[in-house]
Order: sequence, then C-alpha cells, then structure tokens
Amino acid sequence: MNDNLHERAQHLLAESVVEGLRPADETWLREHLAGCSDCAQAAAATQNVLHALRTVPVNVPRDLAARTQLRVRLRAQESAAAAGGSFWLWAVTAASWLLGVFSAPLVWRGFAWLGANFGLPKVALEFGFVLWWTVPPLLAAAIILHQKALTAEWNNKN
Amino acid sequence: MTDDTHALAIGLRQRDPDLLDRLIEQYQQRLFRYLLFLTGNPSLAEDLFQETWIRVLERGRQYNGKSKFDSWLFAIARNLVIDASRRKKISSLEDLGDPESNTPYDPPDERTSSVLQMLVSRENEQSVQLSLLKIPPYYREVLLLRFSEELGLEEIAAVTATPISTVKSRLYRGLAAMKTVMTEGAA
Repeated sequence: MNDNLHERAQHLLAESVVEGLRPADETWLREHLAGCSDCAQAAAATQNVLHALRTVPVNVPRDLAARTQLRVRLRAQESAAAAGGSFWLWAVTAASWLLGVFSAPLVWRGFAWLGANFGLPKVALEFGFVLWWTVPPLLAAAIILHQKALTAEWNNKN
Repeated sequence: MTDDTHALAIGLRQRDPDLLDRLIEQYQQRLFRYLLFLTGNPSLAEDLFQETWIRVLERGRQYNGKSKFDSWLFAIARNLVIDASRRKKISSLEDLGDPESNTPYDPPDERTSSVLQMLVSRENEQSVQLSLLKIPPYYREVLLLRFSEELGLEEIAAVTATPISTVKSRLYRGLAAMKTVMTEGAA
C-alpha cells in the first residue's frame, strides 16, 4: 500500500475527532482501516486518548462548593451594603447641593454684613465666600477616596 | 437566546444568591477539573475556583445570555489563571496565550504531581492525568475543553480568545502529543 494512503488515513483520523469528516472521507477511512492493521492500531490509540480525556475523573474537595457558596453570599451582602451606602451618599449630596443653591443669597448677605461691620476688603469676602462652598465638598471627596483605597487594599489582601 | 439562558442572565443581573448556589453545585466538578489541570496546583485551583464565582457575582450583568454559560464561566476562570500566572510563575502558564513563543515547557514538579494524583481518581492514575500533565498547558486546555467539557470549536475560541484556526491547530498538536506521551507511558 502506498505511503500517501497511510498519511491520508492519519490525517483523516485526526480530522475526524477535531472537526468531523465528510461522508465520502468517512467511507474511505473506514475501508482503509479495515484493510490496514497499522492505521487501525493508530485509530485505536486515538480512541484510547479520547476515552481517557472523556472519562478523566477528579475528586473535588468535599467542602469546596459550600465554602465558595458562603464566600459568594458574604460578598453579595457586602456589595449590597456598599450600594445602600452610596445611595444615601448621593441623596445627601443632592440635598446639600439644593440647600447650597437656595441659601447662597443669604450666605452672601452674611459675608456682606461681616465686611460692613468689620471693615474687611471685598477680595477677602469673595475669597471667604469661595472657601465656604469649596472646602466641604473637597473634604468629603478626600474622605471617600481614602475609604475606597482602604476597601481596595482589604479586597486585595482577602 | 433560549429561555434557560435568558432566565440565567436575569438571575445573574439580579445577583440571585440561590441561583449562584445552584450554579456552584452544578459546575463544581467541571470548573475545578479545568482549573486543576490548567494550573497543575490543587490549592491554587481551589483559590481560583472561589475567585471565579466571586467574579461571576460581580460581573453577572455582563452575561447577556447569547452565549452558553459554561463558555462564559470558563473564560472568566481562564483570565484568572492568566492573572495568577503573571503574579506568580506556575507551570509556565504565562505562555498560555502564546504557544508559538517557543519557550520550553516546565512540567509540574514531583510534589505538585503527587498532590494532584490524590485528587484524581485512582482508576486511570497511571495514564490520563499524568499524560495530561506532561503536555504543554495550552494543548492540555483545548483538549480538556473539547473532549472533557465537550465545547464546540467556536466556544473554545471564545473561551481562549483565539481564532478557530489556532484552536484546531492546538487540538491536532495536543492529540498527537497525548498519543505520544500515552504510548511512551504504556511501553
């Protein structure tokens, strides 16, 4: 028998398990294997490998699923708590913003009164007015960023 | 999208804890086997198993139900293995995504192999698992996905983020490598 025929048989054997064969190739391979003991042996070896891969058994550690379920539930609770926390943070921020907008004329009048009674220059009043609005949100942002950094560090450790 | 995958996608989006419990039970064998043979390290496989489900919880809304859940799950697990291999060298897994790099493959050491054997049923102890451990991880991975997990070529391509042609070529080479190793083992 010609070497090319054996090579073709080997090629088709691999193709049959990876991609599947066209009916004509399948028939040709079956007939070839019936008359060639070397290629039939190679086919048996391939089937042996496939059988081994399909039946490779692994013993999962007994409590792995339970431990994982517990860890996932704990993480879900933490995330839910964090999401609840962020809702209130947004709510308070929105309320603070609205309060700020509506109270701005009163605050400005307060600064004007201070200027008139204590003889402060206009630039100091404007600077004080800007600080009045910017310091609290910057402080809040710094605290939130610090908390996030701590949470990320804790998550990495665990 | 089937009703099952649609329901699964909704459950994951809602972070349904009962659904996650069921999925962990259902996929424990397949996912642990995949991780175990990919890393060659039982304790790392356990850590990554847990981490995979945490990711499923956190990224559940990204599953749209259009692909099979197991493909999505294995892709998450695989990414975690790659991340772990970047942090710590494990069985040359840093080469998992690049088998053409020609970096020589280091088989797991004897201690790891012996621990691994304890987890693998003794039935086929001398053949399958040892043979699998002797072939490079990128071949091992596609062989497991194709023949143990019975994923299709397109699904494997999605899990491994490689073209189908690459998947096929790894399967052909992996099968040849397994045959050689198993034949040598039997001799």
